[in-house]
Amino acid sequence: MSTNYIVENLKKEIDNFSSQIKAEKVGHVLEVFDGIAKVSGLSDIKSSEMVTFPNGETGVALNLEEDTVGIIILDDFSKIKEGDEVKATGKILEVPVSDNIIGRVVNALGVEIDGKGVIKADKTYPIEKVAPGVITRLSVDKPVATGIKVIDAIIPIGRGQRELIIGDRQTGKTAIAIDTILNQKGQNMICVYVSIGQKDSKLRKIQTRLEEGGAMAYTVIVSAGSSEPAPLSYIAPYTGVSIAEYFMDQGKDVLIIYDDLSKHAVAYREISLLLRRPPGREAFPGDVFYLHSRLLERACRRNEEYGGGSITALPIVETQAGDVTAYIPTNVISITDGQIFLETDLFYKGIRPAVNVGLSVSRVGSKAQIKAMKKVAGTLKLDLAQYRELEAFAQFGSDLDNATKLQLERGKRAVEVLKQPQYAPMAVERQVAVLYALTKGYMDDVPVEKIKEFEDGLINYTENKTKKFYKEIVETSMWTDAGEAELKKAIEEFKSNFN
Amino acid sequence: MATLSNNDIAHAIYLVSKEKTHAELREINNKVIKFLVRRRLLSKSPDILERLNKIINHEAGRIVVKIQSARKLKEEIKKELITFLKKRYKMKEVILKEELDEKLLGGIRVEINDEIIDLTVKNKIKKLQEYLIRKI
Repeated sequence: MSTNYIVENLKKEIDNFSSQIKAEKVGHVLEVFDGIAKVSGLSDIKSSEMVTFPNGETGVALNLEEDTVGIIILDDFSKIKEGDEVKATGKILEVPVSDNIIGRVVNALGVEIDGKGVIKADKTYPIEKVAPGVITRLSVDKPVATGIKVIDAIIPIGRGQRELIIGDRQTGKTAIAIDTILNQKGQNMICVYVSIGQKDSKLRKIQTRLEEGGAMAYTVIVSAGSSEPAPLSYIAPYTGVSIAEYFMDQGKDVLIIYDDLSKHAVAYREISLLLRRPPGREAFPGDVFYLHSRLLERACRRNEEYGGGSITALPIVETQAGDVTAYIPTNVISITDGQIFLETDLFYKGIRPAVNVGLSVSRVGSKAQIKAMKKVAGTLKLDLAQYRELEAFAQFGSDLDNATKLQLERGKRAVEVLKQPQYAPMAVERQVAVLYALTKGYMDDVPVEKIKEFEDGLINYTENKTKKFYKEIVETSMWTDAGEAELKKAIEEFKSNFN
Repeated sequence: MATLSNNDIAHAIYLVSKEKTHAELREINNKVIKFLVRRRLLSKSPDILERLNKIINHEAGRIVVKIQSARKLKEEIKKELITFLKKRYKMKEVILKEELDEKLLGGIRVEINDEIIDLTVKNKIKKLQEYLIRKI
């Protein structure tokens, strides 16, 4: 490259440059502390408008008071000093979006943090948007296959649903979310994983796991780490959902996971208290309900007229010592369309995923379940409910009639079948085959400790022998009489060879 | 008790002292100071005075404009500026406060309350820099 070439290019660039003159609204920093700046002036600023500080830091105006503006700073605030000039940009906070973002890790402002180079984006989406209205929506009727037996059978999730995953620390909340992402391979789903206030080591582990499972090919990770300022944690879920909306606008189905919203609420509480908003219950500000409702309301299924596509949201909330009556858990439970409740006791009993089937519900998902699954799951639910009722009796020993004993044995086997190791999602047709065998009583005389072995063997065996049954489930989502007969025969054959 | 903002106090002072004679003003001044002492707001008085100044200027149709330039401005330019600013802000009177700053290199920078019109060479060079090193 010659010097002439560079000079020519520079000349061209400078010729292209035109500066527009406009009056700018400015303010001056009165005080800065803990990621918050109080600024005078800025008389015409809008709520949640972006502002810039002299060293290029960005901020967002949150508190508009009589003669000062409370601004949350989204970058390092150590260089901002009193008297600095703050410029209003006239824009609401936006994040860059593009198809190139898939497979990347970005921060709460949509900037890459995985060291794989700048993400080219020609579009930006505002992070705050009003949720789609009633006219544009469609009821939930397509399933999200999580690959987890207990969820797909008993607490099914539909596309466009908001299903809360709630439980104490170390009960496998994130594991369920990650398994669900891993199972979306080939399901025509884009996944967005929003990590709020998590340890960077945990995020790294998740990223590696998703890469190994080939899931990063359809996944975006948005991260606001625990070492970053609270304002970033506060905006991260909105950034995530904006990215999700970008894909939904292309008519795609999107799955978004917020891990977790209790940390999000804590970050918002920190900001609110620093902005001197009055604290309410548990010191959360008065609008903490709206904080989550406006976020989760953006999950939806749109009808074809408005471009189709859906956003399914799986928010995660961490409880303290199983207390679901705390402020944030009750709020989010009431916003979402059901919850998956995980319990420490079950986890340590070896029932993993530690889903409490009695307390978990899915308010809209059953409409989205495939017909075959609905058929087997109906009996399964009943079996489990009766088992729980009778479980207390079983403590007292032997004097039980045969029907009760049978119920108990069936229940034990049901619990055993619903156990599933991590990172081992199961296709829905296999789930149907196993649950069919269970609910029709084929496992009743298999010893409980051998159930796992039986299940694995059965899947292998039937998959080869009952191609027709499997094909029917995949294609028409229900078996025919012929298919059922084939499966029955195969199960009996397998059982007679199983010792 | 609702809290009183400095702006409210300044506004109140302006309203009571509007169109009053000299003797009356003395009385009012005394009362205002007593009030500030009683409410322990005396430390806020510089801010209140500044706001009062702004209110008086506003009511009188006056604006104070800060102009920074690299070199001293010619009289005709000043006149032109004043007519332009009068029209833009629909004010009767414009008070120019001039400041010299060689670092601006050239052009002028006009500051009216919290609005800034930056026409300096320094600003243009900065913008050119941003333009040239922008991400493509």
